[in-house]
Amino acid sequence: MLNPIQVLSSDITSLSLEPEPFASYTEADIISTVEFNHTGELLATGDKGGRVVIFQREPECKTEPYSQGEYNVYSTFQSHEPEFDYLKSLEIEEKINKIRWLPQQNAAHFLLSTNDKTIKLWKVSERDKRPEGYNLKDEEGRIKDLSTVTSLQVPVLKPMDLMVEVSPRRVFANAHTYHVNSISVNSDHETYMSADDLRINLWHLGITDRSFNIVDIKPVNMEDLTEVITAAEFHPHHCNLLVYSSSKGTLRLCDMREAALCDKHSKLFEEPEDPSNRSFFSEIISSVSDVKFSHSGRYLLTRDYLTAKVWDLNMENKPLEIYQVHDYLRSKLCSLYENDCIFDKFECAWNGSDSVIMTGAYNNFFRMFDRNTKRDVTLEASRESSKPRAVLKPRRVCQGGKRRKDDISVDSLDFTKKILHTAWHPTENIIAIAATNNLYIFQDKLNQEMHG
Amino acid sequence: MEYKVEAHRIMSISLGKIYNSRVQRGGIKLHKNLLVSLVLRSARQVYLRDYYGGICLSAQQAREWCEGEYMDSEQDKLVPGSTESLPESDGQSEVAVDKGEPINVVESPASLDVESQASGEQEHAENVILDSGCSDLKTTEESPEASATCEVSNVVTTISSNCISDPSPSNPKEATETPTDCQTDDSESVEENSHKPKVPRAYTNRKRSADDSELKDPLPKRTKVISPLLISKNDENKGETEEMDTSNVSSLITIFGSSFSGLLSSEDGAQPDSEVEDSDSGQICCDQMLKNLNPWSTAIVAF
Repeated sequence: MLNPIQVLSSDITSLSLEPEPFASYTEADIISTVEFNHTGELLATGDKGGRVVIFQREPECKTEPYSQGEYNVYSTFQSHEPEFDYLKSLEIEEKINKIRWLPQQNAAHFLLSTNDKTIKLWKVSERDKRPEGYNLKDEEGRIKDLSTVTSLQVPVLKPMDLMVEVSPRRVFANAHTYHVNSISVNSDHETYMSADDLRINLWHLGITDRSFNIVDIKPVNMEDLTEVITAAEFHPHHCNLLVYSSSKGTLRLCDMREAALCDKHSKLFEEPEDPSNRSFFSEIISSVSDVKFSHSGRYLLTRDYLTAKVWDLNMENKPLEIYQVHDYLRSKLCSLYENDCIFDKFECAWNGSDSVIMTGAYNNFFRMFDRNTKRDVTLEASRESSKPRAVLKPRRVCQGGKRRKDDISVDSLDFTKKILHTAWHPTENIIAIAATNNLYIFQDKLNQEMHG
Repeated sequence: MEYKVEAHRIMSISLGKIYNSRVQRGGIKLHKNLLVSLVLRSARQVYLRDYYGGICLSAQQAREWCEGEYMDSEQDKLVPGSTESLPESDGQSEVAVDKGEPINVVESPASLDVESQASGEQEHAENVILDSGCSDLKTTEESPEASATCEVSNVVTTISSNCISDPSPSNPKEATETPTDCQTDDSESVEENSHKPKVPRAYTNRKRSADDSELKDPLPKRTKVISPLLISKNDENKGETEEMDTSNVSSLITIFGSSFSGLLSSEDGAQPDSEVEDSDSGQICCDQMLKNLNPWSTAIVAF
């Protein structure tokens, strides 16, 4: 059995072009979402500049055992552009909030990418042959002089250098008044949902001019607003079930069979607040930033500011497991509020077997928790510690008391280096970590050895 | 004391964030602003608790002071058990006063300009006294040496039964626990708190008219108008002595100006009504405050 905690070797692919230490990046280079496709062969990242970069895993090469499994750039395209809403005098950011792959049904790959307002369906296809031997035009495409055509030929397909073409197939626009925070493809492979702060819409992948509103929590009087939707996801197997999380720390499971409008939840997952932990910022830190179904569909993983929680769908009154990600920040909430870090939205991820959960933290740290052994590890995604095929060393944050060598104290954490977006390969122990403008891909050493 | 300073700081930071969100790229982020407004509310609650502590002591002093002026009978009487004569509306009777520290609470008001304090307390006192029926306080100077804690509790009960929306910067300490405060959170009260010219225009007008009317006509008025009176006096006179960083907030609020115009107009509309009628004025004030809870929602509604 692979030990997923020993994430050791690494393969760095940086999206910034300048070498360290002079590397500087623009805000547009900051990665805003990371997502593996369903086979794990492709990895897509979106950034604040509206670009999508797709990486493809190189097929394993038996002759060179160390080069197998690396991810290289497959395609880059501009998904969204900045827009201006003239009616409201608001600029619409081009930042890619989420990317979701569609299950592959033919040779082409499809993905959905969304910014604050518009969702787009992109087709990613390869072209490695091109037709040659046209009658009416020559090799360069110029129209032939008809008088030179003496015989007819049937064009034939000849191999060419691989070209990856990306084209927008659908644009789902004008359906959201508020900022879209999540998209999720249904297990029926025909529909998907998009969620903004107050509403969730159900779309058909083939129809762009209308969508169904299935959840609406907007109050009649906006001044009565108390919570917003922060994340939403469809159940991996049951096409009628979806879950959405709120800023109050609650999760609602909705069944679309019950009613057309799923305002009334089927299940409400809520943990009563601990009154001893009450502070000015209790509401902020209880806001759920991400929710993910387990691959089995039995569990939910949620992330709030300080913890990650695993919920059992059959138990609504409290989570099954609570993992403290960086509880040492609890005493620093006020300064984190001042510098806006308290509003950071960390994502979380399951491994393929639902035995390990992973989430990011500050100082380019990310954490993994093994649900079975209850062990956890803190690792760092940085250039210095992530030379190719280097072994990642577990890190520790000390909170006073005995300080070991290489420990980092809470006060020396760099809060500008935050790992908000992480992704785990669907079947193997390969993880993708987005650290500001850099993407790190780590692989389990044991995994490598098994394949090597 | 630290709580109050901390609460004030958090409130000013929150207002700054709300303001900055208006100019951020991508439009106002509903989620973040909602969270910021919740923090603002929490901080305000803490701040109000301090205010209650200060206000009840000040009220006590004022009552004592005005005893001699308005009430010929029942002077020099300590009637600790007169709580039942006080109106306790809204069931807000469970006001716990930190009985051990009334003196501390009053220390800060003592640092105020005494004259302004006196005048503020005078009006304050009028309202308090008339509200609470027969006075039960000794006649003393408006000195910090407020003594009878039971009187404090009486006054606190009275005040808490009304909608007090404006914390006073002079209240130094979170000495009282008023768990069932009138939840009149809004950033405007914070604005009240700092001396800005523009936004609390409405409040200032209200205060002045209240002042005038009270000076001319000592009719019973709800104690809810006490707070703005007291605050206006305190604000105007105490600003320099107070260490709290109100200058930030005042400049912020000045800039806010236009975005709160909608709230101000509703506020303006509400105030005269609530001044005139005594019954339910506390409730009306509450409602108005609650409506103004989320200043950014006015902008959001435009979505």
